[in-house]
Amino acid sequence: MADRHLHPANGNSASGQFGGAAPFFVGLVVALILGWWAFPQMLYSQKHQPIRFSHKVHMEGAGMECSSCHFLREDGTFAGLPTTESCAECHSEPMGSDPEEVRFIEEYVNTGKEVEWLVYQKQPDNVFFSHAAHSMDSCNKCHEFTETELCSSCHPNVAETDEAPVYYENKLTKYSKQTMKMWRCEECHAHPEHYGTTRSSNACYVCHK
Amino acid sequence: MAVDRRGFLKFVAGVSAGVMVTPIPWKLLDDASIWTQNWPWIPSNVDGASTYVSTVSKLCPSCVGMKVRLVGDRPVRILPDENHPLSKGGISPLAVAEAQMLHSPARVMRPLKKAADGAYVAISWEEADAMLAEKLGAAKGGIACVSGDETGTINEVLSAIAVQAGSGNFYLMPTEAQPAAKAVAAMGGKGQLGYDIENSDYVLAIGANVLETWGTVIRNRAAYKAARPHGEEPAVQYVFAGPVQNSTAAGADQWVPIKAGTEGVFALGIAHLLIKAGARADAADFDAFRSLVEAYNPAKVAEITGTNPEQLKSVAGALMKARTPLVITGSDFGQGTGAATVMAGVAVNMLLGGMNRKGGLKLLPVAEPVVSSAMTRAEMMGKDFVSYMSRINAGKEKAPAAMVFYEANPAYALPQATKMSEVLAKVPFKATFTTFLDETAMLCDLVLPVPMGLERLDDVATPYGSGQALYCLARPVAPMPANVKPAGDYIIALAGKLGCSLGVSSWEEVLQAKAQAMGADWDSLMDGNVFMSDATVSASLSFGADALAKSVAPKAKEGDFAVAPVFKLGIGTAKTAIPPYNNKLIRRWELQGNELYVAMNGATARKLGVLMHDKIVVSNKSGNLTARVNIFEGIMNDTIAVLMGLGHTAFDQFSKGKGENVMQLLTVGFEAGTGLSVWNMAGVTISKA
Repeated sequence: MADRHLHPANGNSASGQFGGAAPFFVGLVVALILGWWAFPQMLYSQKHQPIRFSHKVHMEGAGMECSSCHFLREDGTFAGLPTTESCAECHSEPMGSDPEEVRFIEEYVNTGKEVEWLVYQKQPDNVFFSHAAHSMDSCNKCHEFTETELCSSCHPNVAETDEAPVYYENKLTKYSKQTMKMWRCEECHAHPEHYGTTRSSNACYVCHK
Repeated sequence: MAVDRRGFLKFVAGVSAGVMVTPIPWKLLDDASIWTQNWPWIPSNVDGASTYVSTVSKLCPSCVGMKVRLVGDRPVRILPDENHPLSKGGISPLAVAEAQMLHSPARVMRPLKKAADGAYVAISWEEADAMLAEKLGAAKGGIACVSGDETGTINEVLSAIAVQAGSGNFYLMPTEAQPAAKAVAAMGGKGQLGYDIENSDYVLAIGANVLETWGTVIRNRAAYKAARPHGEEPAVQYVFAGPVQNSTAAGADQWVPIKAGTEGVFALGIAHLLIKAGARADAADFDAFRSLVEAYNPAKVAEITGTNPEQLKSVAGALMKARTPLVITGSDFGQGTGAATVMAGVAVNMLLGGMNRKGGLKLLPVAEPVVSSAMTRAEMMGKDFVSYMSRINAGKEKAPAAMVFYEANPAYALPQATKMSEVLAKVPFKATFTTFLDETAMLCDLVLPVPMGLERLDDVATPYGSGQALYCLARPVAPMPANVKPAGDYIIALAGKLGCSLGVSSWEEVLQAKAQAMGADWDSLMDGNVFMSDATVSASLSFGADALAKSVAPKAKEGDFAVAPVFKLGIGTAKTAIPPYNNKLIRRWELQGNELYVAMNGATARKLGVLMHDKIVVSNKSGNLTARVNIFEGIMNDTIAVLMGLGHTAFDQFSKGKGENVMQLLTVGFEAGTGLSVWNMAGVTISKA
């Protein structure tokens, strides 16, 4: 039966103790690498916007603001992304020499097709989010946000980028990686001071209709 | 280094411990929960700017004006239109469902032909055109047309075809407008009855369910609302007389329970008391009328109608005291009443000096036809479809060689519905222009899809019940499905193929001519405005005492109990089944699963020896239905209230097979004085199932 002893008879050598724990630590490290590095790679697929769009050119070059394109309509609804028609107000003809602009005009403006922009923070239909309620007027009662600061407190700040960020799509949920989760909303909605000023409570039906 | 069993287990333990401090289990759990909420089969919100277009409902018989909210070219919501005189900030439960009904599973999306085995097969429009032209061409001289659109000029086109290619057999589906027109004709008048509810200070509705279904009901409700501001004394008194405490009775200051079908007698009882109090009217046959109503003293009226004589006297007294009283007579369920009921109501208005008076009864002008050889409105109203069907059934008239239906569903919506389907089966060729695959479509050889009112150009000319002559357009606000064709232009082209000369070349030309005939400005109409006219025609009416005397006495009904059909707009009409959106309007004890509930009061239930939820069979010689009992005290003794709009055998899963069709029990009789078909007094026997 002696051959069934897997350890030396004394069983207390330092090397023996270390060697005995090694498989555990190897497994731990493998899991950590898998979980923190490989898993995100596997979970998200990378997508790019159909047209390379430079916010920087529009903000710095043309002196526009976020709300020049992403504005609130007269009835209080949010326009979201501009339509091809509104882009064509300036880009009916190429304004520069960028081949992407030429492609945009040929493929979209001339055909009247809408660009299927990838929205980094599209909320599901059961979330009723009103941009009108989160406007400069309401937030700047207490804060002193610039428009870019206010927008980028939820959205990625693309104002100074020449290239739109990569869009990471969750293969399981089909939502963008940057989609805001509820805890982010609650940073303000569950904050007692916000409730005191805005009366926007953290109750379910404030957002979920 | 070889991995032994213990080493492997340690490795697994390490992986397990490591995994727990990585996002894998937590993120996957979270994502899986989100994934379970991704339901691709439910529609998504539509993004885009909202636009609003004013139009009018062609689906709702109230012809309510509505504002359609569009995102892009997609209607997403129907809203009230404050500027439309038939909406005034209100909307009907049928019109509000129209945006959803564009996507109804019961919609016909392409032409269908009945194959030899009875199945419907999709065909091309070319094949449908050829089949229709061939069959109608062969049936020339024997084509009958039936329309379910009471207010549209399409009736002129259809009647012109019936006159030129048939034998003048054009019919409208029965509504309250026909007995009213018959009454005006019998009283020697011209034009269409109009009811100035807005300017009345006392409204007595006898049978007419003015706050729920009757006439231009949304406009009626707006007048009611305006005259009765919350928290203030009502400026107008409303009194309702009818067998069921419906929404009008609930809104009225007083409900006078009377038996179903005795509305005319109740009105004559009022006339008796008015004349006794000295009321007169400048009519040639006033003396004859006075002799007629002499017999209708409160005691006799109470005996026939089941009302309380004191309540009758109190209502007559209040009418005499009112400055601008208005009496409206009609049917509880929007059809089947006799001309005598309307004549008796008009007579009371005449005694009250209410003819062509502000807040009274008016005679509104009717425009002449704009299509060559089309019937006039009076001629259309004089044609009685139920009577025609009865004559065919009795062999007194030959069935037409072909019948064309336009937005009409007689196989479901006529009285004695099953019998009517049997009569329709005698017609060799039937074609229908319809939006929905209804019961009549299921009897037709050819089914031709037409767009909904939101998708087509159409018109509304002075709906019955309106207080003024009016004209407005339904404008196409949404694109129609690819294989659906507007009926107007199609039927005009068809008429050409049949050799008919209509004097018009397009549907828009017809509507422009109609607008001109009404005195309206086309451009203004196309901007969504409504043409209205205060004009009236001469109201020197007689009482029609002879016809009234022959017609008003109610006939003895079969069985010991009466049926009072309950009509609610939201549950559907003769034209359409319940919109899926409106299923929630059906109350708990009106329908359970597929089982119908009928309501009766406690006294009736005791007489029958039944309790709530007991199963009963309601029958007469026309048909029978099985239902369960609901007890509701707001019903006359010996009367059962049955919800209309159920018991469809076609349409979609939201209406098919649910409950039973009360029309099966409504037996057709004929009014002696006018010959008009009536079915507002159905007697039944009731037994436990």
